[in-house]
Amino acid sequence: MKTIIASLFLILILSACNPGPQDVTIGHDECAHCRMIISERPFASQLVSTTGKVWFFDSVECLAAYEIADSVEEGRIHSRWVPDFPNPDTWVPVHDAFFLHSSQLRSPMGLHLTAYSNETTAIEHQAEFEGTILDWQQVMTLTQKHWFD
Amino acid sequence: MRTPSTLNKTKRMFRILLLGLLLLLGLFSFSFAADTLHVRDSLQSAINNAPPGSILYLESGIYEQETIYVRTPGITLTGRKDAVLDGGSERAILIIKADNVTVKNLTFRNTGISFRHDFAAIEVRNAKHFEIRKNTLEKNFFGIYLSEADSGLVVENSIKTTGTREANTGNGIHLWNSNYVNIEDNYIRGHRDGIYLEFAVHAHISNNISEHNLRYGLHYMFSDKSVYKENIFRYNGAGVAVMYTQNVTMRDNIFENNWGPAAYGILLKDIDNSVISNNIFRNNTIGLYSEGSNGVDIHNNLFQQNGWGVKLFANSTRNVFTKNSFIENTFDVATNSRQHNNTFKSNYWSKYTGYDLDGDGIGDVPHRPVRLYSLVVQQNPVSLILHRSLFIDILDIAERVIPALTPETLVDSTPLIKDPLK
Repeated sequence: MKTIIASLFLILILSACNPGPQDVTIGHDECAHCRMIISERPFASQLVSTTGKVWFFDSVECLAAYEIADSVEEGRIHSRWVPDFPNPDTWVPVHDAFFLHSSQLRSPMGLHLTAYSNETTAIEHQAEFEGTILDWQQVMTLTQKHWFD
Repeated sequence: MRTPSTLNKTKRMFRILLLGLLLLLGLFSFSFAADTLHVRDSLQSAINNAPPGSILYLESGIYEQETIYVRTPGITLTGRKDAVLDGGSERAILIIKADNVTVKNLTFRNTGISFRHDFAAIEVRNAKHFEIRKNTLEKNFFGIYLSEADSGLVVENSIKTTGTREANTGNGIHLWNSNYVNIEDNYIRGHRDGIYLEFAVHAHISNNISEHNLRYGLHYMFSDKSVYKENIFRYNGAGVAVMYTQNVTMRDNIFENNWGPAAYGILLKDIDNSVISNNIFRNNTIGLYSEGSNGVDIHNNLFQQNGWGVKLFANSTRNVFTKNSFIENTFDVATNSRQHNNTFKSNYWSKYTGYDLDGDGIGDVPHRPVRLYSLVVQQNPVSLILHRSLFIDILDIAERVIPALTPETLVDSTPLIKDPLK
């Protein structure tokens, strides 16, 4: 019995240690890149370090820019998360996400980027709002081009 | 003596004058009669049928219809104050897509709320020379929304909503890709950002009051060559944010009572070659916060009773602070590095403890506005608990006498003895 309880505790503790996405407090947390107060959940993104430290961003473009500006060492990055635009409570790892770049969908820092957990919804939104579907690498290139070159 | 010929001359002149007068009168009556159309219902068809240049006068009542579009140039929409355009909490109310349209003296309420669509009470889309004056906007998602709308006026409107913390409020006055817009004498309350500008070059913002907004009173990105003066920004969730912009003039504004962990009188992020003068920064967590901003001329401002008067990050360079008054701030100036390339000269510091023996109005010993304690707090915020303790006072005095940790170059060598603003 004791061993079961002990192992349960161990599992609990270990799972608590595993770095993952944290809750953003809308209207309170500040974007680590542009310093804006984060106010729109459908765009709020985050970067999690290997030690579990979390940086929040008000938009997908700020998450990309933070990395481009070398604000965090590559080796320290554990994961990067973006919200599923239609269901903003769902966190999606950037490499699994589909991004829509459409001039008809405003995003907080003006690069018109929204993220989706699956390709179907992304294509549906593309049909409605036009634009191009991008992957994370293309989002990085786009941000680099608009803000850094 | 009048000869018959001169008599004829006067007669002729009289006749010409009379003719001119008649012509003028005719012109006037033409423009008056122009075409005021009284509207009671079916506003959209009234607008569609009105010839360019018509004035539509809305009688009292609630107009609750589909989103109304104005596609005819030169239309004026006006009416009784109790003519209300209602969005039924599900749609945008008025969308203007033609030049020279005026909207005056009307009441707009209850737009829809949406993540995907920026529903606004009054939207001007891809049109020029608009005038939005003296309207009352209540409980809308976005108030006045200008996208690709140039050379217009937004004047004397009252824009109020009661937003909560979650993102169910849009901005009071929102500009995107709109140039040469004047925003004057408006009152904005309870929106996400009171006034929001993104890619709005040559904006002129004056005499507005923006308060109790959830995030910023004024928020400004990529909007070069703009001027804002004589506005009041107070009790906003995070104050005012000015970002990624060059050549801005900000003068005679009041930034006050913005309290909170991330609240600033004004937040400067990547601002270049701008002027901040004669403003009042009072009762804010941080009066002026500067990150990555260069070549800003900051003079004749009052920084009073803020937690931090000025917080200057080392990546801000070539900024010049002159003739400002720093009065009773917990920390007058704080920074994150010993290396500095900013200038402080001839400011007034209420904390200055030096003397003026030669009586020239300039203190004889330099003033170092950065307290050692502010560096300690910067590194370890919890140490704020030691504020006002004897230990901290001794630490500060020791540092002032023999500066070892505070920035060497951050010094005012000509501090004023008298407050220049008094």
